[in-house]
Amino acid sequence: VSTTIDSTRFGRIEVAPDSAISFPGGLAGLDSTTFTLIARAEDDAFVWLHSLEDPALALPLADPRRFFSGFALEPAPPAGAAVYVTVRASERLEEFTANLRAPIVIADGIGEQVINEAPGAELRAPLFAELAAAAAEQAA
Amino acid sequence: MLIITRRPGERIVLGDDIVVTVMEISGQTARIGIAAPRELPVYREEIWEAVKAENQAAAAVDPASLPQVPPPGDGADE
Repeated sequence: VSTTIDSTRFGRIEVAPDSAISFPGGLAGLDSTTFTLIARAEDDAFVWLHSLEDPALALPLADPRRFFSGFALEPAPPAGAAVYVTVRASERLEEFTANLRAPIVIADGIGEQVINEAPGAELRAPLFAELAAAAAEQAA
Repeated sequence: MLIITRRPGERIVLGDDIVVTVMEISGQTARIGIAAPRELPVYREEIWEAVKAENQAAAAVDPASLPQVPPPGDGADE
């Protein structure tokens, strides 16, 4: 039996029961403990962590390794875990940031926001800095 | 607020499964050890506040504001 959420952002979404992700410790500042991951398109750089309890609560996540070649997570996540970082948007692309300091680790339907003790894990790391640098290099 | 005086090596027990240990005191700095169930998040306060602000900012993102990002390796040299 799948559940549906009437997302304020994405409309009606069917959620398979085995795709629920429980966050026993919650997420700091957010009032929800059960989420699911929504990908809007295959190969989209962003997925949405959508609450199953609040149709208006969803946050964009990115795969940190796609944007930050030097990304490291300490302590290391369990084998097979998916690691994401939350994204802060802005009107200017240069001001988009990702929170490398507190990645979201998901394994076996359980999610946790962990504190990354790796050196250089910034709270607001410029999200597109490496892509912009690579594009500039190519144009040069 | 409950205020308790502790020496290094002494502990405080919160409920059944949380133990706070004063590990070491050196000048203005106290090293604290915390043993708590895995599902109980433990943060330094300033980090918790910062993470909270980032989470709330992420939760306010409009999907339309996210740009299209070229697939990995697309047009790149590697």
